[in-house]
Amino acid sequence: MTASPTNTSVVNPEKVQRIDFKMVSFTLAGKEYGVDIMKVKEIRKAGDFTKVPNTPNFVRGVDNLRGDIIPIIDLRIMFHLPAESHEEHALENIIILRLDDLVLGVVVDTIEKVIGISKDSIQPPHPLFGDINIQYIQGVVEYNNILYILLDVDRIFGKPTHKEESIQHKVEDIQVVDPSPTPVVTAQDSDLDLQFITESLASLAGFYVGPHNRDWVRNRLIQWKADRKAQGQDFQLQAREDTEEFLKGFLTGNSSRFWTEQEIQLLAQNLHFSGNTVSVWNPGCGKGYEAYSLAVFFRTQFPQTGVKIWASDNDLLNISIAPSLAFSEMEVDEFYKPFLVSTKAGFQFSSEVKNQVFFEFHDIRNMNPITSVSLIVARDIVSFLTTEEREKVFAEFFEKLKPEGYLILGQNEVVTQEADWKRIGEGPWTVYQKNI
Amino acid sequence: MRVEYINPFVEAAYNVLSEVLGVEIKRGNLYLKSATKSVMGVAAIVGLAGEVEGRVLFDMSKVTAIKIASAMNMEELQEFDDLAKATITELANMITAQAVTKLHDLGFRFDLTPPALISGDNMEVSDQEVEALIVPMESELGNIEINVAVRERG
Repeated sequence: MTASPTNTSVVNPEKVQRIDFKMVSFTLAGKEYGVDIMKVKEIRKAGDFTKVPNTPNFVRGVDNLRGDIIPIIDLRIMFHLPAESHEEHALENIIILRLDDLVLGVVVDTIEKVIGISKDSIQPPHPLFGDINIQYIQGVVEYNNILYILLDVDRIFGKPTHKEESIQHKVEDIQVVDPSPTPVVTAQDSDLDLQFITESLASLAGFYVGPHNRDWVRNRLIQWKADRKAQGQDFQLQAREDTEEFLKGFLTGNSSRFWTEQEIQLLAQNLHFSGNTVSVWNPGCGKGYEAYSLAVFFRTQFPQTGVKIWASDNDLLNISIAPSLAFSEMEVDEFYKPFLVSTKAGFQFSSEVKNQVFFEFHDIRNMNPITSVSLIVARDIVSFLTTEEREKVFAEFFEKLKPEGYLILGQNEVVTQEADWKRIGEGPWTVYQKNI
Repeated sequence: MRVEYINPFVEAAYNVLSEVLGVEIKRGNLYLKSATKSVMGVAAIVGLAGEVEGRVLFDMSKVTAIKIASAMNMEELQEFDDLAKATITELANMITAQAVTKLHDLGFRFDLTPPALISGDNMEVSDQEVEALIVPMESELGNIEINVAVRERG
């Protein structure tokens, strides 16, 4: 054996890239961008577009593509990038895109080549890409040491998939940014501000604004702008600390401590349970304070009813602590004393209480086998899910609850499908009862 | 997956691998997954039944499997033959059995099914109906991913 054969046999199959994604690369203001080749109908050179009056400035006009009239959009103007000046009748580089039923041309600086990559190598966009709004970016991919920003043309030009992330609004907003200020503009302005805040919260804090929390965010924004103005600061959220400050007051206070006796009695007024045993689901239970509070809630308010509490969280560190949560006397009301035992580590719940609570390492975005629950306590969970995930989770809540079962959300969250639920009570202990 | 089940599997995997391979084992970060996942090349599956149900899948590349089988048999195996296959199957059995023993001591009753070994290229495991806990184990012989999906009986 002269040459070592091991070099060839040790090829790691993971390292062999499978090319399953092709993109057309082009440049805008000297930077490299890419677009999915499946969206590209053709590439051509054209110029002298026919101007159309009353269109946003990024619409260069329309062009005749072998008999079809298509709009021509200038991406550089749309993204506020410097456009190379060109001679009056010079031909420009056009990428013709086909999006579902829409064909349009976009003007770019130069069109480079077709690049084959592996879908897995596309990285999510980073909030720091300043030039182009993050929600228009599908991802970033490296090829031959050049970073390409992959544009999500469906979101830029296509029909909106989610109501609140509607690009349609954006285009309208751009249209009204007009040199002559009218009262309409100010109304649009605050919507635009809300849009900015919405985007910053999503990218910096993973907090998604939607119908379930928009009222709170809107009110908070008014207060926030006034506060920041008083401090002489811009209202935009620049860093994670800003988002934490902004969201202060949103999160439900009592989900990370034991409920007080008063809170337990208040909640009991609104809930009724029938049957010998009930199941409760407590997603996002953290270290388990809420789950144990629920166990004590049932033991004191509904002593005839046996209870089984499924408490889950996707934070492994917190959930690992939960089954043997120990605490000092200070943290707990006198009211809890009958259910506690004293251990070396501090107070813990007695084994009777512990046996009623099942802690699971679980991500709410994945499936779970929990069924037929009478009560779901999911505080501040849905606000940290994307629109799609949130609606899936709401549907799951509805499906997993028994008829007339109860759902408790965070103190500033509301349900999105109002027809499915009956609202009971007000304030932090608002309960939603499943309609039959 | 119940929190109580996690540690027995992690500990058993760590103990058994350290013992039979005689090399340093490093545990990667645990995470949850519920979607189609590609299998590296060799997968040993042990089913769990009883009060809870589920399965444990041991996933590794063929190169790693041959190296591990070589280390366990104390002879240099050149290909993934019957002996190597039997060795990997046995490794899966040892780890799962030790985990189940630990769980038994904690009061959880599990039964095991005989392990099955699957090998080939471009394989995927789809368990969209269950959420799996992934325990990555790293060593100089290669990486093993232990994929545990267990749920209470409904």
